[in-house]
Amino acid sequence: MSVTPPFDEMHNADGSIRDPYLILDEWLKEQPPQALSLMRSDAESLFRRLGITFAVYGSNEGTEKLIPFDIIPRIISAKEWRRLSKGIEQRVRALNAFLHDIYHRQEILKAGRVPERLILNNSAFCPEMMGLDPARGVYSHIIGVDIVRVGPDDFYVLEDNLRTPSGVSYMLENREAMLQLAPELFQRLKVAPVETYPETLRRTMESVAPANAPGSPNLVVLTPGIHNSAYFEHSFLADQMGAELCEGQDLFVENGKVYMRTTTGPERVDVIYRRIDDDFLDPLTFRPDSMLGVPGLFDAYRAGNVTLVNAPGTGIADDKAVYTYVPQIIEFYLGEKALLKNVPTYNCTNDEERAYVLEHLEELVVKEVHGSGGYGMLVGPASTRQMREEFRKKILARPDNYIVQPTLALSTCPTFVDRGIAPRHVDLRPYVLVGDDVRITPGGLTRVALKKGSLVVNSSQGGGTKDTWVLED
Amino acid sequence: MKIAIRHQLSLAVGVGAARAVQHVLLTPLSGPTQTVREWSIDMPGMEGAASFLDGFGNRARLVTQVKPDAELLVTASGVVETTDRNGVLGRLPGEPPPALFRRPTALTKPIGAITSKFRSTPRDGQSRIALLHALMARVGEVLDGGEQSQSQDGASQSQTQAERPPSADFAHAFIGAARALDIPARFVSGYVADADDTPAYDSWAEAWDDGLGWIAFDPTRGVCPTDRHVRVATGLDALSTVPVRSIPAIGSAQVLAMRIEAAQ
Repeated sequence: MSVTPPFDEMHNADGSIRDPYLILDEWLKEQPPQALSLMRSDAESLFRRLGITFAVYGSNEGTEKLIPFDIIPRIISAKEWRRLSKGIEQRVRALNAFLHDIYHRQEILKAGRVPERLILNNSAFCPEMMGLDPARGVYSHIIGVDIVRVGPDDFYVLEDNLRTPSGVSYMLENREAMLQLAPELFQRLKVAPVETYPETLRRTMESVAPANAPGSPNLVVLTPGIHNSAYFEHSFLADQMGAELCEGQDLFVENGKVYMRTTTGPERVDVIYRRIDDDFLDPLTFRPDSMLGVPGLFDAYRAGNVTLVNAPGTGIADDKAVYTYVPQIIEFYLGEKALLKNVPTYNCTNDEERAYVLEHLEELVVKEVHGSGGYGMLVGPASTRQMREEFRKKILARPDNYIVQPTLALSTCPTFVDRGIAPRHVDLRPYVLVGDDVRITPGGLTRVALKKGSLVVNSSQGGGTKDTWVLED
Repeated sequence: MKIAIRHQLSLAVGVGAARAVQHVLLTPLSGPTQTVREWSIDMPGMEGAASFLDGFGNRARLVTQVKPDAELLVTASGVVETTDRNGVLGRLPGEPPPALFRRPTALTKPIGAITSKFRSTPRDGQSRIALLHALMARVGEVLDGGEQSQSQDGASQSQTQAERPPSADFAHAFIGAARALDIPARFVSGYVADADDTPAYDSWAEAWDDGLGWIAFDPTRGVCPTDRHVRVATGLDALSTVPVRSIPAIGSAQVLAMRIEAAQ
């Protein structure tokens, strides 16, 4: 672990309050004892009423859980946000350009800037997408970029989520809750709104409707169904956008176009926000045993009669092995240096790097190349000897299946825990929408590791969330 | 050579399906070795079908039926004029980069008995074309049963002389070996007007040479395709060139009739 203490987002090194937190600090000091506890129980009943739950895979105590919410918001200054969002926009533009290139002429592979094998032999690469021109050239319309902060001006991107990033409903509900719990704070601070997200999502989807779609395109959200861990979010977003929530069986393809069954007859569908993974999207093209998808959907997409949001095959751009090349990808397409840093990553297929990794497992974080949600991950400083031994064997057996990174000293934010207010480690997932323009919702989802000292913020591993406030000038 | 083709298939989509959807790849395109004079596909739902190019540059059709009959008839027919270019196709516009066809697939796993001969061979000035010809010959030797072949998992394939493996196996073996040698190679489906053989929807392979572009090899016959071959679809392996995929699934379409007539 690093020797220097982690960056405290509320306090300067001398204990004074950092500017963005001055008003919050005042407010916290004004609160009578018990007020925060009361607020927390209010928040809990609020979330229960809203019905926001998430499913934990492999947990046997009921599948639905309430995600813990911390009532103290995280605050980011306007200046900090401007810097951060510039870096995010740069990344998102470059990754969409990368997707267009590898599904067309593959100039970046010919130039040798990204190894050809890493892309073309990758299971996340989708040959069926070759030569396809999605509306406006956009492949990934909805992106969540996972960012950690280690210093005042020091941000690292942990990973880019370009497939079907989840969690945006928490961002919206957290704000809704804070507006109800502490309305007076919004009087004192000018907080940039996040409530416009569903409307912006709708505009984004409309902007990428197929050329032959009628004036007002018909949008739907396609969900795998009620048993999916993010079903709540699917129905929530559909509701907020005013779009139909569909399962595969509600849609069908006829004469090359996609239709939705309705009580008044079939209705043409133009843009589909699909929350079904590529493999299950269409049994005619992908997994033939999939019951979740729509037969013929991919062909209708290829024929230009419907837009899929996000496009199939975007996973190649957020593959953990491709991640290490993002700085080169940005330089190649934009001719700029990356504004946001990548976490240095060890490649276990390299003998020297693997030897170092195996020697230093207790300091490092090991992730599965295709893992997500904090599953199949080793956090060295918090690991037992037995866990490290297990990962040593795994790495030796399949060195290409793991990436290894140093343990970052994630910044901390004041968090209301059993013993009062204490610093806890956080990360940030801002949400980006790409259509006729790149739009980043100010804020995002802050995830907080509620256990003291813990660096794992995943909700499936005991993490909670906070509202994220970006201040306006 | 003028080749007239009539290919009739039957798709058993089953009784009582509310809807059926097919992905049909039965349209030859004009290119350096062939000019399509006339071509049509006749099947239920074809009038409203969407037509588009797939990821490999093939002309595909998305065909649907409402309350389909249990058995659908598909008839592809037309006339294609071919030119013998000794298998050399060159570079075709609008196709994906050749590097794509280095991607390994489950059907194109290299067969040890074929690749072992080549891996250790020093290239000492041997051209890629000579290498590919040697590879094609070796595929014939191994798969024709002259030698006991070893598949990737080590299981020996016991074949009686009567059961010659289908042409797709030859193409896959050739492609797997070429890719193992880092040469882009792809699967081709099409018609062969072979006087000695029952007419069939057949398969062969194409391999990439930086100088000549794509070159076709027919490892089943041990020759480079001539003006008797009509290309219809290309892809990573047989799965990406299946003539008709369907939901409800049909297994493989049954060929009812096939007529291929060649005239000079």
